[in-house]
Amino acid sequence: MAIGAATGAMSLQAEFIEHAANFLVAEAEAADFTYDLKPMRIADNSYLIQGKSEHFSRQNGGNIVNVAFIATEEGVVLIDTGPSRRYGEALRKVIRSTTGKEVVRVYNTHFHPDHVLGNQVFGAGNIAALPKTISGLETTGEAFSDNLYRLLGDWMRSTEVTIPGKPVTFSSEKFGTHRFEMLPMSGHTNADLAILDHKTGVLYTGDLCFLDRAATTPHADIANWQNSLKQLKTVPHKLLLPGHGPADPADRAIEQTSAYLAWLESELIKAVKDGKDMLEAGRMEIPAKFTNIHVVKEEIERSVAHLYPALEERYLPLVGQGDKQTGH
Amino acid sequence: MRHNKTLGNNPARKHKSNPFKTALSVIAIGGMVAVSQLTGFITPAHTAEIPADTLNSIMWKDMAKTYLLTEGHENSKIVMDESILVHAPKSAEDQLNIPVHVDARAIKDVKKIIVLADLNPLPKVLTYMPEKAEARLSFRIKVEQGTPVRAAVLDGEGVWHVGGAYVDAAGGGCSQPAMAHGKPDWVSSLAEVRGRIWRQSGTDTARMRLSVRHPMDTGLADGIPAFFVSELKFRSRKGKHLGSLTIHEPISENPTLTVFPKLQDATDAVEVSGRDNEGNLIHVSIPAPVRSSLLTEKD
Repeated sequence: MAIGAATGAMSLQAEFIEHAANFLVAEAEAADFTYDLKPMRIADNSYLIQGKSEHFSRQNGGNIVNVAFIATEEGVVLIDTGPSRRYGEALRKVIRSTTGKEVVRVYNTHFHPDHVLGNQVFGAGNIAALPKTISGLETTGEAFSDNLYRLLGDWMRSTEVTIPGKPVTFSSEKFGTHRFEMLPMSGHTNADLAILDHKTGVLYTGDLCFLDRAATTPHADIANWQNSLKQLKTVPHKLLLPGHGPADPADRAIEQTSAYLAWLESELIKAVKDGKDMLEAGRMEIPAKFTNIHVVKEEIERSVAHLYPALEERYLPLVGQGDKQTGH
Repeated sequence: MRHNKTLGNNPARKHKSNPFKTALSVIAIGGMVAVSQLTGFITPAHTAEIPADTLNSIMWKDMAKTYLLTEGHENSKIVMDESILVHAPKSAEDQLNIPVHVDARAIKDVKKIIVLADLNPLPKVLTYMPEKAEARLSFRIKVEQGTPVRAAVLDGEGVWHVGGAYVDAAGGGCSQPAMAHGKPDWVSSLAEVRGRIWRQSGTDTARMRLSVRHPMDTGLADGIPAFFVSELKFRSRKGKHLGSLTIHEPISENPTLTVFPKLQDATDAVEVSGRDNEGNLIHVSIPAPVRSSLLTEKD
């Protein structure tokens, strides 16, 4: 019997090793881990590298985010740095070949990993972010990074969290003839930096705005977010660049993001009041005006996980409290 | 601080490309399997046959031996049964709050439902004994890593019917301190109960949702002992037993449950009594439904 068991274990080992080998081969074949970054001119001296409207995957390497750069007379200003060190390196290369200049300032719009994990390529001292973005990244950056290693594998090789060295406590900054106005807001996270380039009239909103790609809510406060969107509407601009989705000359991004969040929140409140659990709440019917938004179904499911517990706390009636017997 | 889909002890981190390390750990796992198989042969504690696992979990046989073929059920038959529905997301967005719905209504005369998460450090999630209630419930769990989540349903003839689903997840859900500990006033709101009953049109079955404010500490976070709601019982106002639940550490902070009691008349409230592992007692009454839910049976 013991011999039988040992033999069984041996063949199990062989099977494991075979699986491991297959896995490694599949990894190697999957991609050569190069990001194909193509800058698109959106205004004078201003370029967008548009991310795919997808989720993180081992096919896209996390290239799902918008990154923008502006070639001023004093050097390049970069807004967000992408999901990985490899992305940051590809970005620096394409910025050099497009503008012939070096990056002199980086802004991180907020602390989510797809926007900041290319930071290490540009050096902490040049990177500016809101104080709460900096502290958020200090506490959660490593965990974000771990999760992207898990989701993206070798695309993340050698990526290290780099904390921005310059807190945005100033209201504007000038590079050459471009004056960048800092618009500190919140709602998508607890600190979201929108930036207005007064020379070109381009408003860079980070993830306060999404366009034709469903908004994400892992750290959202919907009421604050709606207030920020109202505020953004009053900022005069010629072109708006959302954190995800195409550049927006027609003022669609603010409207769409606001309408989507309002609808999502009201559906979830309705679900709590109807007695649905989280899984049931995620099966809501999506109105026609949102069905063409990329990854909307997946994001709704994620948003239920983010938002539902707090709504239950607000809308399930309090019926009593237990008796506390212990020192707790 | 919320940690959504973010926390992971990723063993591949920065060692991703080392095939030798991978192969070594694979052999190590193989070795452990060999040992556990050997001990299995040496100490046969039961005679029932354990069927192959439809979820291919390395832990399945141990789960069956430890939690099913025990306490008078050593000789029970186990069948893998697709009619036991376990709904859960394929991939967990928040490993501290994974919604699960177990539906065993296909089985006649359900005595007991045991929910297990094989790869959790503490695999046992809950035991539900529906009396005057449908054999289904919703709850949320924390997981330490991707794991099978399975429901074993004991029928009136002593047969275990087992169904399940695999949930992928980032790591660390069981060894993190509860979010409550970040709030200075958490003790004052401890064991607050929220709840409501909805009558389902066209049936005598009601839908009851219930949420108890509690940190549900697993005891695995540094310096924080286990502290969790351990028991909840549901009775009608007239004292009829509707169902009872034994709850374990993997249930999420502020346990939030949906159960489906059969209430005889529209004026029935449900009395909930329970306790946590430190003896704090819960006695609350959830008022009768004020209106019918718009939900249909399909929902």
